[in-house]
Amino acid sequence: MATQKLTPKEQVQEAILYPIDWLEERSGLVGGIKYFLFRRVPGDINWFQTLGSATLTAFIVQALTGSILAMYYKPDPQNAYSSIQHITNDVFAGWLVRGMHRWGASVFIILMFMHMGRVFLFGAYKYPRELNWIIGVLLLTMGLAEGFTGYLLPWDQTAYWATVVGINLNGTAPFLGPFISQFLQGGTYIDDGTIARFYAIHMLMIPGAIIALIVLHLYLVIRLGVTSPPWSKEAAGTGSMLKPSRNGRRGLTRPGPRRKG
Amino acid sequence: MASERLIERKRVFHQYKEDVKERGKPFYPFAMLHDTIMSLVVVSVITGLAIVWKYTTPGDHHTIDPGWLGRLYDAPADPGTINFVPRPDWYFYFLFYLLRIFKWPETVVIGTVGLPTVLLIILLAIPFIDVRPERRLLRRPVAIVASILVVISMGVLTYKGATAKEALGSEIVGHVPSWAAKEGFTGNKQAIAGAKIFAVAGCLNCHTYLGDGGTNLGAPDLSAEGAKNKGIAFQIAHLKCPACVNSGSPMPSFAGLGDARLKQIAAFLEASKGPKK
Ligand code: HEC
Ligand code: HEM
Repeated sequence: MATQKLTPKEQVQEAILYPIDWLEERSGLVGGIKYFLFRRVPGDINWFQTLGSATLTAFIVQALTGSILAMYYKPDPQNAYSSIQHITNDVFAGWLVRGMHRWGASVFIILMFMHMGRVFLFGAYKYPRELNWIIGVLLLTMGLAEGFTGYLLPWDQTAYWATVVGINLNGTAPFLGPFISQFLQGGTYIDDGTIARFYAIHMLMIPGAIIALIVLHLYLVIRLGVTSPPWSKEAAGTGSMLKPSRNGRRGLTRPGPRRKG
Repeated sequence: MASERLIERKRVFHQYKEDVKERGKPFYPFAMLHDTIMSLVVVSVITGLAIVWKYTTPGDHHTIDPGWLGRLYDAPADPGTINFVPRPDWYFYFLFYLLRIFKWPETVVIGTVGLPTVLLIILLAIPFIDVRPERRLLRRPVAIVASILVVISMGVLTYKGATAKEALGSEIVGHVPSWAAKEGFTGNKQAIAGAKIFAVAGCLNCHTYLGDGGTNLGAPDLSAEGAKNKGIAFQIAHLKCPACVNSGSPMPSFAGLGDARLKQIAAFLEASKGPKK
């Protein structure tokens, strides 16, 4: 069998495609990514619908800056405060990483609320997306819990007393309250045990849960698709459109001439 | 009929899928472009805040002016003293302020547990309460009114929580002689010493005393605490571990102040039989 001689251009193509094919054959990942990228979304989606991915970005910033902080932070009452001072004043760009983590937390929470607001105003929680709304509410509570547990870690006066009061408030809950307080404190008082617990909850348990929930959330977003803005005259689901858009350049990216529909 | 509604919504979703397939646009590059731009904005805002924080802060806790975005860190945690309102991060202000409305012990549980639980349940239930397929805002008057009310009340509560007056110990110490005169413990050295500690230890961030301080977490007014005649021993035990004697108390422990000072505070509390008219 005479193999054809490949031109140099074809050789380069082969070399590039080979590893991609290799991966696809063994995992199907390439197809998955292609599906994700080239799946169709309604032609009229708008800027408010970027708030979800903006929230995801804020979370990723938290995960990255948090991992760097974890390399220098010491979760015990004797060293926590001085390790925060060390990060802020001595570590190269430590102030930047800590500042981004600290303010990123607020941005993350604001974005979560704004994203939830847009989902509410768009009525995007309705059939068949109820489950994704529930996952979203869980993400919201997890996000707030991250805020609460992270607040103690600098171990300064603000942190300490806000947490004392927060834990005590928890303790006023009927039945489970006192147990939750004891669990959080790691004993009857706020001490070494507390800071270690808050740290473990803040950097392992809740982030793990958030990542798992985000994966589920995005799976449902891709499976069900995102909704068109409710005011759109061309909203997907109404079937009111006459001509299909050939290049997809409609809606916000490049508003084409309005077709009457 | 309900089952018709179910069939109809299935049909609409099917139509949605068809419509998107036929005239939707691919996620990449169109939607992705917006997502990327927005994400870049988010990262720049976060970086910007970190930089502003660093360069406008007066440094550490020794200065009174906190700068634009607050101090880089406060004084180290000290279980013995509390000299400002215990304040959570801003996104909990609304809850925190809500707690001022409720009084210990009858209703405070409503504020701490009841309301958050109810809010959470309502949030979770929204898709099951509002089952109409209508998504256009103008045709969802209840949703509009509810969201406006929620935004306004959250805003007001957050603002109130943010501007809540902090009891400044250094100013209040000056009121001690007038307290002593009104309550009639001027000759009682223990009680005067206790009143001074009481003024600076942060008690007045939750309690009120003859009009000073602010109510928080439903803590009672202490101007007539002594009239309850609970006794010095009770007061000391309560200060050391409030929840041990008043079960479920959210008041923090003040064991860190040390026995001698606790005894003085207890003397002051017991001497406070209420203002003499
Ligand atoms: C974080 C808020 C908070 C702070 C700070 C605080 N308290 Fe309280 N206090 C409460 C609450 C809530 C109650 C009601 C529950 C209870 O009785 O323990 C209370 C109750 C009391 C009582 C009534 C106890 C009784 O059964 O008659 C006294 C006396 C008292 N506090 C004294 C003090 C003193 C003295 C300080 C400062 C050293 C102080 N508190 C600081 C929240 C606070
Ligand atoms: C960690 C936090 C969250 C992340 C990272 C996230 C991410 C996303 C993304 C990327 C989308 C795609 C469409 C869009 O951007 O709007 C989306 C859609 C959605 N989100 Fe979230 N989200 C989060 C929190 C929430 C919350 C708090 C809720 C509501 C309680 C929620 C409910 C929904 C719903 C119902 C959709 C489908 C919207 C539609 O089909 O139009 N999410 N989310």
